[in-house]
Amino acid sequence: MSYDDVEIEDMEWNEELQSYTYPCPCGDLFQITKDDLELGEEIARCPSCSLYITVIYNIEDFLDKKSINKLEKSKQQPVAVA
Amino acid sequence: MEESEEGKSSINENEEEEEKEQQVWSWGAGTEGQLRTGRLEDEYSPQLLHQLHFLSSVTVLACGGAHVLALTSGGRVFSWGRGNSGQLGHGDNNNNMLNSCCYPKPITFFDHHSLTHVSAGWSHSAFVSDSGCLYTCGDGSFGQLGHGDYRSHCSPVKVEYFINKNVEQIECGMRHSLVLLKDCLGNQVYGFGSGKRGQLGISTERIKSVSLPQVTNGFEDVEIVGISANGDHSAAISADGHLYTWGKGFNRTPDVHCPWCLPSSSQFTKAALGWNHALLLTGDGEVFMLGGSHHGVLSDPEKMSPAKHLSENANEAALERVAALDGVIVVQIAAGAEHSALVTEDGTIMTWGWGEHGQLGLGDARDQTNPQAVSLGDNVQNKDTKFQVYCGSGFTYAIRTLCVPSQS
Ligand SMILES: [Zn+2]
Repeated sequence: MSYDDVEIEDMEWNEELQSYTYPCPCGDLFQITKDDLELGEEIARCPSCSLYITVIYNIEDFLDKKSINKLEKSKQQPVAVA
Repeated sequence: MEESEEGKSSINENEEEEEKEQQVWSWGAGTEGQLRTGRLEDEYSPQLLHQLHFLSSVTVLACGGAHVLALTSGGRVFSWGRGNSGQLGHGDNNNNMLNSCCYPKPITFFDHHSLTHVSAGWSHSAFVSDSGCLYTCGDGSFGQLGHGDYRSHCSPVKVEYFINKNVEQIECGMRHSLVLLKDCLGNQVYGFGSGKRGQLGISTERIKSVSLPQVTNGFEDVEIVGISANGDHSAAISADGHLYTWGKGFNRTPDVHCPWCLPSSSQFTKAALGWNHALLLTGDGEVFMLGGSHHGVLSDPEKMSPAKHLSENANEAALERVAALDGVIVVQIAAGAEHSALVTEDGTIMTWGWGEHGQLGLGDARDQTNPQAVSLGDNVQNKDTKFQVYCGSGFTYAIRTLCVPSQS
């Protein structure tokens, strides 16, 4: 089970790690990359322990224009977007 | 540094009536140097640390996300552990600011100050001087340093807001800070930093963050004697033994935006907050827990089910007495992010909760749902021995002080 649900606006962009981060109770940071977010990944893991959090975000905020257009196209068709 | 240390200690010898001999142990998460072992490794069992003469009489230890502040009886402060946000307060000489530090280093900014209180948050630090001034350093990106902006500082900076006020206590949470003033009935508690979960108690509206201190509501007619902050939680204890909590709801109950008095017939003397639980000590030496539904089962996903009944009312967040401590008199409590520690009247240190990094000090990485006795290696018990226990997010410190009557 996820340790916590965290909104993306509460996570911090870490230039060094190229990831969004949030404090982990072990002392390290939960991390998720922009690439992961673009792929719809919602689990941010901590590299030091077994815990993970669920990131709450709107995937459209992480897609560039081209892929948003693509997404909208696919939305117009009766295809389920997971 | 050595000379000024000598100078300070000669002054202190006159002030103190007894000489103190201390032993210090650390265990748990250690990859940032926070354990002071000289190794950047986790430790599953208590590690007896080398005696350092300038740290021979620690009066207060403050453990944060991955850093430690130590106040000595001479009023000096040392820091070590993670320093990437400036939370060690060593300044940026030689670009050291971003470095972690695995040995205690004095915060030279305070060479000519005497400090009475320190607190370590997730990535910020705060200090109270004997003249009642407040200083902060470290991560300021949520306004948690209280300087009216969102800048970080790698050396302590005086919080101007309190310049004509008398600060008694500061408590640092994950992204917020609480201040308790002396002799200021009605307006004694202030909050600043992140307020999204209600942890500042300054407004019933949802507040993202404030960078200047604001009065916490609800204490107009209450005398507060102690405050606590950790994670997104805040708490205060009143002179008549009532506990007030605000901030993130316990056991997934809704957030509380104004300090709320826990209905209980017990007289509380101390609150220690984790990221999802509160540990409470009564005047009779009993221990209660608030929000402990996941305490000690974090590594076991099967046992971690959503809270049995999701209460709509924070007032129903169950207060439970730690039943396993029946008949045990507890004298001190401490809480890490997801673990708990206490000292019993007979000088036993007990731990329970999340153990993945060895933060319970029981020799393994297992979780514990009930308090377990920690073995410190030898059993020299003495009526003149006093134990103290301190928890950082994922690590723990124990200090044994032997009080030897002065020869003079
Ligand atoms: Zn972790």
